[in-house]
Amino acid sequence: MSTRNRTPLYRKYRDALRSVRVPVASSLPSSSSAASSGGRAGPVIEMVSTSLLHPARSYAPLSTEDPSNSSPAHLTVSLPPAWVDLSEEISVNMQHARKKMSDLVKAHEKDLMPSFGDGKEDQHAIEVLTHDITYLLKKSEKQLMKISSSAPSGDSNIRKNVQRSLATDLQNLSMELRKKQSLYLKRLREQKEGQDGFDLNMNMNGNRPTMEDDEFDDIGFSEHQMSQLEKNEAFTREREREIAQVVESVNELAQIMKDLSVLVIDQGTIIDRIDHNIQNVASSVEKGYKELHKVLSLCLRRKNTKKRRNGYVCDSSCHNVLHYAGPPNTKGITLLINTNTNWNKSSGRGRYSVAGLFRGNPCILFFFNDLPCVFTYSLYFIPSFLWN
Amino acid sequence: MVLISLVRDYIGRMLQDIPGMKVLILDSQTVSIVSVAYSQSELLKKEVFLVELVDSMSKETMSHLKAVYFLRPSNENIQKLRRQLANPRFGEYHLFFSNILKITQIQVLADSDEQEVVHQIQEFFADFCAIDPFHFTLNIPMHHIYMLPTVVDPPSSQSFCDRAVDGIAGVFLALKRRPVIRYQRTSDIAKRIAQETAKLMYEQESGLFDFRRTEFSPLLLVIDRRDDPVTPLLNQWTYQAMVHELIGIEDNKVDLRNIGKVSKDQQEVVLSSEQDNFFKANMYENFGDLGMNIKTMVDEFQQVAKSNQNIQTIDDMAKFVDNYPEYRKMQGNVSKHVTMVTEMSRIVDERKLMTVSQTEQELACNGGQAAAFEAVTNLLNNEAISDVDRLRLVMLYALRYEKESPVQLMQLFNKLASCSAKYKPGLVQFLLKQAGVDRRTGDLYGNRDLLNIARNMARGLKGVENVYTQHQPLLFQTMESIIKGRLREVDYPFIGNHFQQGRPQDVVIFIVGGTTYEEARTVALHNASNSGTRFILGGTAVLNSRRFLRDLEEAQAISRKSNAI
Repeated sequence: MSTRNRTPLYRKYRDALRSVRVPVASSLPSSSSAASSGGRAGPVIEMVSTSLLHPARSYAPLSTEDPSNSSPAHLTVSLPPAWVDLSEEISVNMQHARKKMSDLVKAHEKDLMPSFGDGKEDQHAIEVLTHDITYLLKKSEKQLMKISSSAPSGDSNIRKNVQRSLATDLQNLSMELRKKQSLYLKRLREQKEGQDGFDLNMNMNGNRPTMEDDEFDDIGFSEHQMSQLEKNEAFTREREREIAQVVESVNELAQIMKDLSVLVIDQGTIIDRIDHNIQNVASSVEKGYKELHKVLSLCLRRKNTKKRRNGYVCDSSCHNVLHYAGPPNTKGITLLINTNTNWNKSSGRGRYSVAGLFRGNPCILFFFNDLPCVFTYSLYFIPSFLWN
Repeated sequence: MVLISLVRDYIGRMLQDIPGMKVLILDSQTVSIVSVAYSQSELLKKEVFLVELVDSMSKETMSHLKAVYFLRPSNENIQKLRRQLANPRFGEYHLFFSNILKITQIQVLADSDEQEVVHQIQEFFADFCAIDPFHFTLNIPMHHIYMLPTVVDPPSSQSFCDRAVDGIAGVFLALKRRPVIRYQRTSDIAKRIAQETAKLMYEQESGLFDFRRTEFSPLLLVIDRRDDPVTPLLNQWTYQAMVHELIGIEDNKVDLRNIGKVSKDQQEVVLSSEQDNFFKANMYENFGDLGMNIKTMVDEFQQVAKSNQNIQTIDDMAKFVDNYPEYRKMQGNVSKHVTMVTEMSRIVDERKLMTVSQTEQELACNGGQAAAFEAVTNLLNNEAISDVDRLRLVMLYALRYEKESPVQLMQLFNKLASCSAKYKPGLVQFLLKQAGVDRRTGDLYGNRDLLNIARNMARGLKGVENVYTQHQPLLFQTMESIIKGRLREVDYPFIGNHFQQGRPQDVVIFIVGGTTYEEARTVALHNASNSGTRFILGGTAVLNSRRFLRDLEEAQAISRKSNAI
């Protein structure tokens, strides 16, 4: 499959055009920079890559006074939101868990091999590893839930998608761990039975068969057999304990899986389609638009009934709603700036504005995406004492 | 796998060299192109955590994300990009276009990129919607324009042709081949598209298309839908074609919301041969066999469900939790197919499609004008038959017996006018004008040359396996001629001084006016038989009878208006 790279040609044009543009920009020194870059003074730390898993990249401080920078009003690169750190942490945890799982497999192998020693260190190691992995997975799951619970903002889609991807990985890890554990369990059980069978054989071979000589049982067991029996019993008890532990961790993991399965996408279903997901976003935005129209039509209807008093405005501001929405503030919320000068004078307020009447109550309309065609919004009722 | 894997490779390459969190921005056409080949979960694996449309007017700045744009190189997209580059929202911009950019477009972009956020611009030629391994479509809107002469609406005709040429060029660039081009002589629009494609490939961008030449050049054959108007009008009985005919498949998605009552999670489903093994095995099976296979699948599933309910030991519980994801997937799949087949059965019963389809197949395949006339008249009189089915029957009759007994044809027209309020007989005449026997090249009914007549007679004597699927689209004969190297040059001339030596091994057939799933099935079954020639089918849209009739109506309305002027 062929492709064509147009980047060299593009760069050539861009450089050529830049040299045409720069003389214009440099003729407006600090006066323009103060106006255009307001609030961007000071060194800006640019995050080239936020991935902790790529240690090669680093944070490079970028000074705004950099003369080689073509545009004086360089884009302020803000730090990524906090949940990105959370997701990084989760990825790191999962990597640790993966490493520990391969260690666990090795420990399982070692324990299952016949050995001279008691094998207690092996079992202890397995216990510790299993406990660590389960703890890591649980912690990751809790952090995963935290990602969504932080304050909702515009990038909720991204957060949801990051959650989904991490949840899928986490679920796969849990399933792998469970498979390995159940395999280990199975082989353990086989061994246990094998051992018992072996012992049974020993009993049958070495001494009188116990079945026919029941009445001689009490006298029959020799010292050797007694100690053997005790050892076996202790051994069996140990194995029982181990199995119980493994089963417990299996159940824990099952719980995690159940929680995660809500987040994970089923492959091949409609939810896994890109166009379906885009449509969902668009339809919720459209619904908001329809609601807005309803509100505005209500405002319009009251145009002749309520006069302008106490800074409440009527239909004119409703029209302004559609055309003049201010730039977003730091929270990403755009406040409507009413361009009706009379009202501004009477209320004396600069930033907030009453957008209209809705069922007789004053209300503020917040806009999250401020453009004439598409908005989402929320209605916020404020108590009247705030309005003097 | 051919077409789908090509698109997947392109998308994979776009995303793999860019580390970190990414946002993918598409336009309304590339959304279809990407959605049929790549799933959301696969995008997440590549760290693409947001997908947006380029029209979206969101002003949120997310400079920790890198933007990957995949757009068609249209002027509207370039303008939208300009605005977005002037106020960049993201940290880095990587632009990929699905077809050839003009130099002016590159200059415009370079001009607006004051902050130098663009890191690369590339052309990745995934400009077609690969719905099946050997079937692609272009989803062109305003589709009916191909039926009208160019003078009626020159700009629309031009954009239609341009899109078709772009799509075909994209396919060949992805395959890395440059074909020999043939077209259907009787169709002006096919000729135009063929000529413009040849100009693009051999003159304008000959450097781009200059691939290693193989022994046998591939063949591009551009034909017109109106040469075979029968196939889109027929009712279908093989799974994929049937779903499209009765319900409608769009980009491998089926929308069941308006059809009867379905449960919430089955309202919109995906029918993709890549992701669904049952569908892959059954998409070309006829309805009867399909029913049996579904029953088998349901029985298997019930077995699994029963064993899942019988949990007694911890072992069983552990096994259940282990197998739960697969169980859930199986359950979803089973309910999807069962819902689909139930809905289709209901529609078949409602519209009495078994009787209607039998007559349709007779009209399409066998002779006997008198019997046909009688059958059609009976069905027209039958109250239970819907208007659209009546219209189709009359159309099929008219296409076949256009010249024989015009009196009876008039009778049918009158009857149709009296029975159906919505449809006017003028539509049938319009169809005859567009696709009547005088306009057709191919031997649609096998009654033109002796060989075909003999073949038909032999088939009739032998009897058919299934009376509902006896129709074979004209495409089948065209394909056979190509394989044997006997495609008549009189009917399908070469462009310019192209020449084909021997028989081609790769053939792309492009049908202007749209393909049907029945034809796609023919192509796929042939390719599966490994005969040495591989066919790829593509068109400007995927038709069912509703769409074809709608195209006819819209074309008729426009031509009436232009005649009045």
